[in-house]
Order: sequence, then C-alpha cells, then structure tokens
Amino acid sequence: MKPAPFRYEAADSVEAALALLVHEDARPLAGGQSLVPMLNFRLARPELIVDLNPVRELAGLAVTADGALRIGAMTRQAALLRSPAVADGWPLLTEAVAHVGHSVTRNRGTVGGSVAQADPKAELGVALTALGARFHVRSGERGGRTLGAAELFAGPFTTALRDGELLVEIEVPPAPTGARMAFVEHARTHGDFAVAGVAVVHAAGGHVAIALLGAGAVPIRAEAAERALREGVDASEAARLAADGVPDDYRRALLQTLTERALARVTT
Amino acid sequence: MTAGTMIGASLRRREDARVLRGETRYLDDIECPGTTHAAFVRSPYAHASIESISVPQAAPGLIAVVTAADLGDAVRPYPVMEPQGAEVRVSEAHPVLAAGEVRYAGQAVALVIAESRALAEDAAELVEVDYDPLPVVTSPRASDVELMRWQRRAGDVEAAFAAAAHVVTGSYALPRLVAAPMEPRGCVASYDATADLLTVWCSAQDTHRPLEHLAHILGRPESAIRVIVPDVGGAFGSKGVIAPEVAAVAAAALRLGIGVKWTEDRLENMLASSQGRGIEGELDLALDAEGRMLALRARLWSDLGGYLLTTTPLPPHTAATLIAGCYDIAVADVTVVGARTHKVPIGPYRGAGRPDAAYMLEALVDEAARQIGIDRVALRRRNLIRAFPHTTPTGLEYDSGDFERCLDLALELAATEPDKRHGPARDDVYVHGTGIAVYVERAGGAFESAAIELLEDGRFAIASSSSPHGQGHDITFAQIAADRLHVPIDAIELSFGDSATTPPGVGTFGSRSVAMAGSAVALAADELSEQARALAAEVGLDTAPALNWVALAQAADAPLRAQAQFRSANVFSSGAYAASVRIDRATGALTVERLVAVDDAGTLINPLLVHGQVLGGAVQALGECLSEEAVYDEDGQMRSGSFLEYGLLTAADIPPIVTGEVETPSPLNPLGAKGAGEGGAVGALPAVANAVTDALGGRYVAPPFTADKLWRALRAAP
Repeated sequence: MKPAPFRYEAADSVEAALALLVHEDARPLAGGQSLVPMLNFRLARPELIVDLNPVRELAGLAVTADGALRIGAMTRQAALLRSPAVADGWPLLTEAVAHVGHSVTRNRGTVGGSVAQADPKAELGVALTALGARFHVRSGERGGRTLGAAELFAGPFTTALRDGELLVEIEVPPAPTGARMAFVEHARTHGDFAVAGVAVVHAAGGHVAIALLGAGAVPIRAEAAERALREGVDASEAARLAADGVPDDYRRALLQTLTERALARVTT
Repeated sequence: MTAGTMIGASLRRREDARVLRGETRYLDDIECPGTTHAAFVRSPYAHASIESISVPQAAPGLIAVVTAADLGDAVRPYPVMEPQGAEVRVSEAHPVLAAGEVRYAGQAVALVIAESRALAEDAAELVEVDYDPLPVVTSPRASDVELMRWQRRAGDVEAAFAAAAHVVTGSYALPRLVAAPMEPRGCVASYDATADLLTVWCSAQDTHRPLEHLAHILGRPESAIRVIVPDVGGAFGSKGVIAPEVAAVAAAALRLGIGVKWTEDRLENMLASSQGRGIEGELDLALDAEGRMLALRARLWSDLGGYLLTTTPLPPHTAATLIAGCYDIAVADVTVVGARTHKVPIGPYRGAGRPDAAYMLEALVDEAARQIGIDRVALRRRNLIRAFPHTTPTGLEYDSGDFERCLDLALELAATEPDKRHGPARDDVYVHGTGIAVYVERAGGAFESAAIELLEDGRFAIASSSSPHGQGHDITFAQIAADRLHVPIDAIELSFGDSATTPPGVGTFGSRSVAMAGSAVALAADELSEQARALAAEVGLDTAPALNWVALAQAADAPLRAQAQFRSANVFSSGAYAASVRIDRATGALTVERLVAVDDAGTLINPLLVHGQVLGGAVQALGECLSEEAVYDEDGQMRSGSFLEYGLLTAADIPPIVTGEVETPSPLNPLGAKGAGEGGAVGALPAVANAVTDALGGRYVAPPFTADKLWRALRAAP
C-alpha cells in the first residue's frame, strides 16, 4: 500500500493549479480521503499530483448579498458541519455532512473533493442536488463554466469535468422562505457510506425537491414524486413514486421508506 | 492498597499512560542499522499452477527477489498440530512461499527486498508470474479433500433417537471473519553470522510458538534463534502462529546475512492473515416427552482453506468437543470435517470454535422449545449440568461451574428496567425479540512458568512465560505476586516477551493466562517466601508480623531466586447472556437494544480488566451479528478486502451492555481462576442470534444479520 511513483507539485493559487493541471495525467489533491487510499492501492496512478491545499482562495464559506451560499471547493467538511450560517439557511447540508465519514476524516476531507469524487454512495452530492446547487469550474485554457448537478454527475466516480478543469466553487441558492429540509439515510454502520438515502426540501407555495442516493449511479431528482406532491398527493404516495422503478426490491422498499420518513419530517 | 488484599482489586493497567502517550514501541518502531524492507508478490488467483516466475535483474533500490526455488530445502512446511483423536493431513501444511501451485488469492509467491517498502512494492510489480488457473472450491460442503476429521460416539445413539418423544433438527452457518487487529502483522529479522544467531522481532502473542515454528521451518536449533515480542497492537488469536511471510523474511535474512523488515499493510492482513469461524453444521436433538435431552447428533463442516497452518485444525476440533454445551446429555454422535477450500487458512480468532458450538447448540435448543412448546428458559433449566466434575460425551471434563446461577442472574439483570434511550417501542414500526443463551468454554490447560528474584532494594523482578497484547498481564500478575508476598503492588516488576530471558511456556491464547501463568507466578512467589523464611531463621530475622524483604535482600549472599512451572488440565468458564433487539419493519435494520452478560471466570483477580475483556469480546460478537463477514465470490476472490467493505463496528454502534459476575473457583489451580478472554465473544453471539430468530417468529437467518437479509426474512415470515 505504497503509491506508484508520481511527481508532486503544490499550487499556491488557482492560476498556478490550472497551469499544472494542463498536464495530461494530473490529478488534483484536495483532502486526500479518497485519492490517497486509491494511490496506495495503486488503483490511481497519475504522473502528477497537484496539491490544492495551499490554495487559500479555494477555502471558505460565504453568504452573498443575494442570499446564496458560496462554498469554496477546498472548504473542509468539518467547516461546513460547524457553520452557523449553513445550519441556519441550509440545514440539509449540516445534517447530510454529519453522515460523511468520521470527525477525523471530515477535518481533512473537503466539500469539493467529495463532489468531484462522485461516489454514488456519497451524501453531499445528493444534498446539493436537492438544493439546486450550481458548480463553478475553471480551466486554464477554456476559462470558466457553471454546471447544474444533473450535468455535473455523469456516472459512478465520473463527472462532466474535462481534462484540465477544476471545480472551484459550489453555489447554493437561498432556500425559499420557510423551507424545511431533511436528510435520512440507511448505512450499515455509523459513518459508513450509505446504502440508500434521501434529501428533501419542502416549502409552502409548491417548492419541493427530492434527491435520492442509491437509486442509480448518480444523485437522482425524483421528479415524478415532486410533481405529484405539488399536485396534492400524500407523502406515502409520493414516496412510492420516488422509489418506483428502482430495480432491486429491497432497495426500492428502503428508498420508499426513507423518502416517506424524510417527507414526514418536512410536511407534518 | 494494603498488602494481602490484592485479589479482587480493580486496578488500572500500569502501561495505560505509556500507551496513551504514544510511548509504546510496536514492531514498525523497531529500527536496526541497515535494515532493508520486504514486500510480497501475491497470487491474484484462488487456485492456479505456477508455470514460471520471471524476476527483474535490476530495479531502483532492489536488493533481492526470493522465490520458493531460491529457498529450496532451506525451509520446511509448517508444523501442524494434531488435536487429540483427530486425523490430520499434515502433508497439507502451508508452504513458506508458493511452490508450483497457489491455493488462495493473496498467497505469497515471491519476497522482494529493497531499500524501502515503496521501492519493494515497485519492484514487486516487475516480477512476472505465469499462472494456469485451476478449478476453485469455496464451500466446505463442495470440497472432496478432507484436511482434518474428528469424530466421537458415546452411548447408543440410534436407540436414544428411536425412543425420543421429540427430534428437533437445525442447520446453521457462521461466515468467515477477519481478526482485524489495529496493528497488522510484521517482523524484523536480523542475522549475526559471528554468533550464528537469528534475531526475530515479531508482532506475536508470545515468544514460544514463533520460536518453535521458526526452529521447525528453518531447521535450526531453538538456541540459535532469539524471538523478541515488542508492544503488540492486538492479535485476537491471529498472531499465535507466525505468518508464512515472517518465515520467508527470516529465511531471507539468514541467507542474505542482512536485516529485513516486513510490516504488512491492511490489504495484506485482510487477504493473507488467518481468518476465523467459517463453519456449517447440521444438528439433531432427541428429547423425551418432558423435554429432557436424550441425545445429540452433530455433523460439522469447517472451511479450513487451502493449507494447514499450525493451529488450523484446532477451532473446528474445539467446536466439536464443546457441542454438548452446558447440558447433561450422555449420548452423542459428533463428527467434524475440516475441508480444503481455496481461501486463506482459518485459525484461532477470539473464541476459536467456542462461539461456533454455543451458537449452533443454543439455536437448536430455542428451536426445540418452540417446537415442543416449552418455555426456553425452563427447557434449559431442566437440562443444565449441576454436578461437577462432569464428563461430556465428547470427552471433556468440566472442572466446576454453576450454570443455573449464571442463568438466574442474567434473567434478573434482563428483567430490570429496560433502556429507554431509544424511546418507546412502536410495534407498527419495529418487531421486537429477546434471546437467552448459556455457554461453557474450555480455558487454561498445558503449562506456563515464572521466575522471581528478590532485588537488593527489597523489590521483586518477575519474568513471566506469558506475554501481553492488551490484556493487562502486568498489573494482574503483580496483584497475584503482591498478594502472595504481602508487599505493596509497586514492589513488583514484570518482564515479558524475549525468548532469551523468558522462562518456558506456551503462550497467550484460549483464555489461559491468569489460570496458567498467573498460577505459576503464585507458585514462584510461594517458593521464594519459603526460601526467605529459611534464610530469616538462619540469620535471625523476625518473620512476624511480616518478612522484612529489604533486610533479607541485604542478608542474602546471593540474590534469592525461584522459578516455578504450573501445569493443569483445562478449566471451564461459563456464562449466560441475554439480548433484546428490534428490527425496523420497513428497512430491516437491526438494533441491539441491550445486552446482558453474565460470566463465571472463576476467582477474579482484577474485575476491572475482566469487565474490559467481557465488553471487548461482546463487541466483537456484535460485529459478527451485525455486519462482519469475509465475503468471497465463486472465483475465490475476497470481496471485503478493506474496511470500506468489511463492516467493523464503530463505538456509535455499541448498545448498552450490562454485566454480572458469578465466581465459581476452579479446583485445578491455586488461584481458583478460570479465563475471561473469550466469554463475551462466545455468549453474545447466540444471545443476539436467538433474539433475532425470536423477532422473526422462529425463522432462521445466518449472521451477519444485515438489513436486507432481515427485511427479506420479515417478508417471508409466516
């Protein structure tokens, strides 16, 4: 469990990181909670590791004048968990990140790293999907672009990021007034990746978002269930719709139950 | 602490501060000048012939590549133990490095030595092995190769079954588990040609068995090998036999005349360290109309793996001999077959056959209670052994016990106010179950020794043959010595773990250290007291109210020394466990709400450390119930090779555990001690399993009780 040989460069700015990431076989290193084990197992064998940890401009949480939450990609998961502003405005994130690993891994693991790793069993991508987050990416050659969750998450451990592109910031729009949120999951043991989970956001006036973990290879919005809820069906019928079509009978039942429990928390 | 009142005192371990401050010295902390580093080329196949091996001539930092062909007859296969009455195919002993064939994925094929571990891993990738895959057997029932068989008949089994009012049958299985010690295996081997001495620092449970195994494998006299066991970060049975990799490193150090270090990583530990459990059984119980147990039939199949390590035959033998448990059953027919499969060999893992027996028998007894319509406690009570010594139909002799008192205490503790922290029961959401189980376990046996010396300042140095890896030998043995010598605890110093200075013994395993090595300490202290009284009389020193050890030390011409060996038959610990569980109807998620653990480990020397042993064992059993399983696919590939897949519990998953003690002294040693190292692992498994079966309305599911399995069982329940 020692990595294959690689070259290591520490970047001290986004510009410097982007310049290094032009290398055709480079991997950015964020908190290292997934990449370092993959290196040690020799499952990942990049020629160049670009360490983002010294890039101060990538870390930090801010609430903008228009009420959006901006999460620098290198913000530690522990910082997200501890943020009063996040707990106040986007409690779904506080609740979801508490399920991510353990306190020692959250101290090191980053929000952007978790998103970019695109593990289909990861909690943060699902919570951000339910919140309608926008993902800002930059490239040295092509400049910047912004993706929604449906565009970003392309498959298991796969995002739409192109070679040389770096996730720099996650922007979470302000939640509708009076919105209630819940994150519910089932994991084998405490701190383990989830087998299934659901993130819901609900507000008077018809705002409903349901994002599922474990229904497919990426976070999935349960659009039929959202629509039905807006049209007035009860939580149990919405939950049935949310899980409808999930192939495995146990997983389908699990997602239905978790969705029903999450909806019960935000609608009653 | 007043002298003479040390037995039964809950004193903390004296090494705790050192451990907590990180001042321990584990294997990887051992540095010898010029040490080189080892990595292994491991088989990717569960079963294949090796057609050829091509090794790199040069690579950065590469020092040597060693294969079975290079070692030739410089090494011999493992010595294999043959349990009493068992047929064992010792010719199937584990080779040091694979020669011509591999029989499990992860088996060591070549040893690569380089200037660093990273460079050794780089060079290992350059070793090309040409494999020809062969058919893979993963189920012991599907194997046609028996590596071990033990059977025993007592009484007229056919007549007993023919006369029975009820015959109850059950089929049970326990998956394989990994021991998962926090510190994986490793060694540093160094050869001094001038002295012709091979020194091996080894993360092991003791010095004796590594020394014996190395002497056998390397064909060297034990006097030409020194084994040093530094601080050890856990073993749970998996470090009793030296790893084949350690033998390879030692052989290479001898051959090359250099120091070589191997500290394995977690993946190696998962793939190639011996695993526990892996057993299936079919049991039939004959009972009369009143529920008295007349006869037991048991056929067990153990998934032994590709080869025999030294102690691979022991756990299935132990399971078979304990299969009659706490019950007075005179007639039995028991067979255990240890089958060859294409997996890493099994070996002792906390309980080592004891949980297997208790699990199957206690599930069967609950099944009998359900089928006959007798209360499960009443059925147990009607059949418990009450007279000791008791000879089982499998040939064991239980020394003492009070099984019914353990059962009564467990029921009493279970009946107290249930834990409310999870909120009130909501039967529309959960199904609930309770379980009770009794167990008896073999402990002690064979021999250990201790050497004691009165130091000039009136303090005492004791070298014990036993060796700790977390149990707390130091304070426990100091309590025993201080009690016998009537001196303060701080007057006693213990040393362990260096074959050059350790008196003869066997090792730390099987809940035996206090009963055996502790008794040896007591005998050595008594002998020293005898010498001291003789000296006091000779030089005219007062012996009342107590011996003046400082004056004696100054009066003696030569230091007073005593060495004692203690040998006894096995002692038998026992206990009763109760569990309450709930299963979420919608998700299948199992919550163990509460566990009651009552253990009778004989006279307790240090109740605090016994409590710790009970909790630790029980938590390992909970892991076995909830989430732990070494998963292999049909190609013999391990699918749970990291802690991402292998479900070790975390502290947050542990329920409240209520403990109680019964102390029935053993008549077989001067302390009255038995053993406490495994009781938690033995008793908690059947109690939780029976509670789960109870919640499922009698439907049997094999551990681990994962949510998907329980959800499906609830759907299928009548």
